Amino acid sequence: MTEHRTDPDAIWNSLDRQLEQIPLDLEQERDAFYSQPDWDVYRLHYTGLDGYRLFCWLSAPVSADGPVPALLRMPDYGSVHDIVYTPLRSVALVMNATHRGQRQSESVFQANYPGLLTQGIERQDTFAMMRVFADALRAVDALLGQTLAEVGPIALTGSGLGGALSLLAAARRPRITAVAADTPLALGHPELLEHDLAYPLAELTDYLRVYPHRKEAILGSTAPLDPVAAAPKVEAPVLLSLGRRDRGLCPLRIGELLAARLPHCDLRVYDGASEGGGHPHSVIREAWLREQLGVG
Amino acid sequence: MADQKDLDAFVTQVTRPEDFDDFWERVLAGLAEIPLEPSLSPDPMRSNADVDVSRVHYRSLDGLEISGWYCVPTEGDGPFPAVIRFPGYKGEPGLRRDWGRKEVVILTVAVRGKLGSHADFNPGYPGLLTHGIQGRDTYGYKGVISDCSRGVDFLLSRPEVDPQRIFACGSSQGGGLTLITSALRPEIRGGVAGYPFLCCFPESMRMLRSYPYDELNCYARAYPDLVQEMLETLRYYDAVNFAPGIKYPMVVGIALEDEVCPPETSYAAYQRLTGPKELWLFPDSGHGNAHDYPAKETEWLERQIDLTNPGGAND
Repeated sequence: MTEHRTDPDAIWNSLDRQLEQIPLDLEQERDAFYSQPDWDVYRLHYTGLDGYRLFCWLSAPVSADGPVPALLRMPDYGSVHDIVYTPLRSVALVMNATHRGQRQSESVFQANYPGLLTQGIERQDTFAMMRVFADALRAVDALLGQTLAEVGPIALTGSGLGGALSLLAAARRPRITAVAADTPLALGHPELLEHDLAYPLAELTDYLRVYPHRKEAILGSTAPLDPVAAAPKVEAPVLLSLGRRDRGLCPLRIGELLAARLPHCDLRVYDGASEGGGHPHSVIREAWLREQLGVG
Repeated sequence: MADQKDLDAFVTQVTRPEDFDDFWERVLAGLAEIPLEPSLSPDPMRSNADVDVSRVHYRSLDGLEISGWYCVPTEGDGPFPAVIRFPGYKGEPGLRRDWGRKEVVILTVAVRGKLGSHADFNPGYPGLLTHGIQGRDTYGYKGVISDCSRGVDFLLSRPEVDPQRIFACGSSQGGGLTLITSALRPEIRGGVAGYPFLCCFPESMRMLRSYPYDELNCYARAYPDLVQEMLETLRYYDAVNFAPGIKYPMVVGIALEDEVCPPETSYAAYQRLTGPKELWLFPDSGHGNAHDYPAKETEWLERQIDLTNPGGAND
């Protein structure tokens, strides 16, 4: 099985070298309709891998002065990643980044749900999810490249796909200060296909039902996205939540392996399924992010 | 956190327009003039031993083509009971193959604006809640609700569906649409409305700063002279004004820590139900994440389906 797997570091080093060669070409436009008395909302467009134009929502506190802490919320597995309310908007830069194929980042390619998880999975270089993860790295670059405020500490957060994007981006971008990841998508872990999976991960088993001889191809293409493999490189503290009954995003056993490999992990396990900790964890996460960002 | 006292103390200012029923009768009558043109495209990759999955399409208001996922049991004689699932505000309607083994047909509707139904209508998220809100006839939700009603027509057009056993469910916007569509379409014999959105618009937009309701505040800030027109439009689309029209059993599920749809507003919809009803309160849960909710929804629907079985307990 492992003979088909390539060194993830080599792949990401190569992708990062490609990203370095592409001008960010960032445009930022204030959205008067969605701006609030305490913060301004901006629409940002910037360029990612293959010259693909990407979109994000960014809000900046009206009274920003000096370095401003930043919260980057990575996208869920779905076509829409909207503004999303958080009280942190009045004290921090808050960015909601999309990946290619999502709404407002769909000029060339529109993702399908279900469907995106296996699109082009036959080969690593055609696998759509590789570029989705590269877009997460580019979102960090765009946050650092915007000119609305000087960026202080940066926390990444997300659920499901967003949790996995947060972990991988933190592994590749040492500028990240903290990560709050909920039920991170365990795509790429070699044990994944041995589990009884629910959607969205069940897209892999759907694919295997039609193409039973492509299991090795799946393992090879998804390997660079394995959050467990990336975990030792995440130097930032991580608040990780898991659902004991989760079959669709991060089966418990893989989540526990992930926690064990993260150098600084605060693991919380809840009775939920893919919703993880639900409301009790959202309260914990909010307080933890405030502490990590130094905003009380 | 809201508690029972908060729920009981809440009184909505939402009132029913005098011509509310006339308006919706006209909308449904107009819809009936549009050929449904139902079609199915089997999806072998999503189908399995229990379920044949198809992508379906049908016509709705303004002739728009609406899509959905359709799951039909591979075993059993039929005609089968059916559950129509309505989508949340920004999420994609999911596939529910787990009902195949229970010999139940499932239709999940991608209302206009969703992937597969957004070629000619794409206000975005945020955006949908205020799209065309200046008048009841231009409001985007006139189409969204029509798409749900036409989903019922789609089920009624299918020979494998038992027209006497159609049920509905959904969460968040899907919960609101469950209430609204069940009032408009008495062919729906029961439903579960989880964390219902689209309830008590004037209060909801004041009680929270989270989206989607905050879109209404953004509109009010941008167009202060049009606030009264906006609120007047919303009276025709408020689920609390549909609730009294629901004749069959209905559940309302409420998370008391709901930060997206205020619990008090969902409770107001529950209070206005005049038919058989059931209330589920989830004390330590937020919007859409009560651990027990999915299992309770399944159990309740199974019970109702069983009760309406011609050879079952209700016969």
